[in-house]
Amino acid sequence: MRIVLCSTLALTAFLAVTALRTQYNETLPPFLYDNIIATFETDTSAHNAVAAILLNYRMYDTMFEALILLTAIIGMQQFLPRQVDIEGGQQAADEEDNHDTG
Amino acid sequence: MIQDEQHPTESLILQLAIGLLFPFMLLFGFYIIANGHYTPGGGFQGGGILASLFIARYVIFPVEDIDSEKLHSLQRIFLAFILLVPLFFLFSGIITQFPLLRKPYLTIMDILIGIQVGFGLGVAVLRFAFFQGSGQTWHL
Repeated sequence: MRIVLCSTLALTAFLAVTALRTQYNETLPPFLYDNIIATFETDTSAHNAVAAILLNYRMYDTMFEALILLTAIIGMQQFLPRQVDIEGGQQAADEEDNHDTG
Repeated sequence: MIQDEQHPTESLILQLAIGLLFPFMLLFGFYIIANGHYTPGGGFQGGGILASLFIARYVIFPVEDIDSEKLHSLQRIFLAFILLVPLFFLFSGIITQFPLLRKPYLTIMDILIGIQVGFGLGVAVLRFAFFQGSGQTWHL
């Protein structure tokens, strides 16, 4: 029942947003686009607008994008077993049992 | 060519072909990184190509003798520089006072990001490869 209610709500919201979107179709003039295209070379002295945006206009984005990779690797190191763990897993468990009983 | 008792032997064609391509892959990766502010490409893309060096080495020589902890610590050092260099040059306003520094800044950031992404993806690939292999070597 809850799933049906949730999906109905989501579908209704989606349809309402789509209907509003088609009724009031507003397009803004691309002023930011024009501004960046016109001034990126004098602003950043890069010849490539993507590099200018990545390394100057949106530097915070690039910094934290580089941080995402570190987070992913830390997660992998936490959750993937190493080869030592697989090989020495049984032995380590036995030793732990002996330690507990002893 | 790598062939002895302990290490598994891969096919000679693979070893020779990847051995021939290896320096060109390195060159292409650094070319994309160094030309990041002139042509399409840049740190992340070039770093991906540098990470393919680790994959190529793994394909012909699947032995876990690269310490992934060391690679990870190197990656963290480069990440610290990625966070420090913009703090020092861009956010402090030095670069607006000395516009000559803009091109060296772009190149330095591309190189740092490229090497960081290369090491990071390399660590990821090696960890997954040797977890999947889990003691057994994987033959093509």
